[in-house]
Amino acid sequence: MNFDKLISGFFIILAMTLNFGFFYGDLSNIDLHSKYELFAAIVVNLIATTLKIGDKTQIGSVLLATSLVADIQLIAAATVWTIIYYTSGALDVHTTSIVISLSGGALLANITSVILYIGETIKSKR
Amino acid sequence: MKNSSLWLLLQKMRVPFIVIVVTYTIAIVGLISLDGITVDDKIYRMTIFDAFYFVTYTATTIGFGEVPYTFSYSQRMWTSALIYITVIGWFYGIGSLLSILQDKLFISEIKKTAFRKKVRKIREDFFIILGYNNVTKKIVGKMLAQGYRVVVIEKNPDRVNELILENYVPSVPVLEADIYDPKALELAGIKSKYCKGLVSLFENDNLNLKIAITAKILNSKIPLAIKSTTKHMTENLEDLGVEIIENPFEIISQQIQMLLTAPSLYKLTRWLYGMGDLRASTFNLSKGKYIICGYGRMGHEIKNVLEKNNINAVFIEMDATKKNTFSKKEQGEILFKDADDKEVLLQAGIEDAVAIIAGSKDDTTNLSLLSIARKINPKITTIARENEIENQALFNYSNINYVFMPSRLLIYKTIAALIDPIVDKFISHAIEQDEVWAKELLGMLKTKVGDNPSTYELFIDEDHAHALAERIKHREPIKLETLIRSRANRDEYNPIVALLLLRKDELYLLPDMSDIALEYGDQILFASHRDAIEDIEYIAENIHELAYVLGERN
Repeated sequence: MNFDKLISGFFIILAMTLNFGFFYGDLSNIDLHSKYELFAAIVVNLIATTLKIGDKTQIGSVLLATSLVADIQLIAAATVWTIIYYTSGALDVHTTSIVISLSGGALLANITSVILYIGETIKSKR
Repeated sequence: MKNSSLWLLLQKMRVPFIVIVVTYTIAIVGLISLDGITVDDKIYRMTIFDAFYFVTYTATTIGFGEVPYTFSYSQRMWTSALIYITVIGWFYGIGSLLSILQDKLFISEIKKTAFRKKVRKIREDFFIILGYNNVTKKIVGKMLAQGYRVVVIEKNPDRVNELILENYVPSVPVLEADIYDPKALELAGIKSKYCKGLVSLFENDNLNLKIAITAKILNSKIPLAIKSTTKHMTENLEDLGVEIIENPFEIISQQIQMLLTAPSLYKLTRWLYGMGDLRASTFNLSKGKYIICGYGRMGHEIKNVLEKNNINAVFIEMDATKKNTFSKKEQGEILFKDADDKEVLLQAGIEDAVAIIAGSKDDTTNLSLLSIARKINPKITTIARENEIENQALFNYSNINYVFMPSRLLIYKTIAALIDPIVDKFISHAIEQDEVWAKELLGMLKTKVGDNPSTYELFIDEDHAHALAERIKHREPIKLETLIRSRANRDEYNPIVALLLLRKDELYLLPDMSDIALEYGDQILFASHRDAIEDIEYIAENIHELAYVLGERN
């Protein structure tokens, strides 16, 4: 068993699942989406990104790129949420949908990342 | 990936970054899960943003105080814990970043990247020079003066700094790396289409050979100027296809040969290499008995020359330990004694010798033994070998008849061979001529174009001689003499001497100007003064000027 692979695989997949957990639910109702889950998704995504840094291979660079996309989308979602919450007090349907759809985009990037990761694992013979 | 320095930085920052993320997360999670009390004594919990804000300024030790409300004791207890975790995590991150920025490997990667960028930006012809020392320093200066760019690879950091402090204009990119490292050569742009040559003039023959092999593998089209001090090494380099092989000792023996038999030729070559003008007083070596101090690689070459000219010579070798490396016959001919001694010089027969050559590797010995020699025999011709450029002033003041310096000859010859290959070619053919030929040419040059004429090379193609190339392509017969007519009055000729005409496999030394018709691809070497050369340039480039000198228009 490769301990490095275990760690990075764990974080990459956890990033996706947390992301999905936040995204899943009614697009217009913010009560169905936990802010703590978004926070956890951001933290795990950041760790996953860091773990991918330093791999100079082709696949490593693409993996890093997907992770960076997910980071930007999730942080954007959190920022929008924070700004709206502290400026207008509560989220309306429109702003809620912005936050959720941003995290939806991040989910796509995370899914791509997991597919690439699995593909690479299958390809390697060991 | 191209930018490996950035990757190195990111890779080394992985752990510190994870530490920061994890410590922040722990601190934030703790803060949002603890109960606080508002001013109205109500229980509240921090939002994620509140917690993030608090941790951000606490971890960086900025400390804005307890917001949004004064903390409860449970919050304060957690805060004291989180300060220790996050501040340590943050400092660890900053510390790692600073240590990476000071890391030797990282710095050298940054320098490499900067070097590669500089080399890639060069959009003019440039030369790669390996090693930065007194010899290559002169070459760098001369090449820059001629309008070429230079790239240097040097292993010694002190020398690299010396080059940087020299502040060359235009700038000379320098890389601190192993000279024979193929990667360093690639970084220096050996594969670039602008690279016009590589110079390697190290003392160590094997190092030079190693470089020649590497360079030829990387790019076989680039002309190499490599130094070689033995016949064996020269043959090896020839087999590799090295274009320019410089043997300083062979050059010296060639010069002595010229001084003995053809002083005019010697003057001509000096002028062509740019080491002096045609006026310089001739220094004539007379035949008679010679004493040569120092019998190393150079001594051998001198011996061959003197034997060829049937000149008697006595050789003195100061290093007696070398004795066993010579053959029995040689051992009998050579005196193994300290030449820097009156008795020894007398024993060698200094009183009736016509010339003494001090050719040891030590400048002080050379100077002192010549002054002793002159005391015993005031009429003797003194010839010294100068090893270090720094000692030039000493030699200039010491009244020696002729000072030769292997490294200086090497500088001029290398530059000529790389920048003006046609001049080098002319010299190599001129050397085979005799004194009568040289004297005649010298006289002609002096009367026609003055004491210090310039040389000019014309290459007949679209880029260098547009008007001429067009006409020649249409099969119009244009004589060489067309080019030397005056633009002011076509019936008059400018004072110009054509030294050499190169045509594919043919070579015309001092071509007959009224006889030879030009062809496409011809290379012609002229000697004249600046104004006349300008006329040639105009006639070759401009269709109107060409039509005028051909008599087609007024």
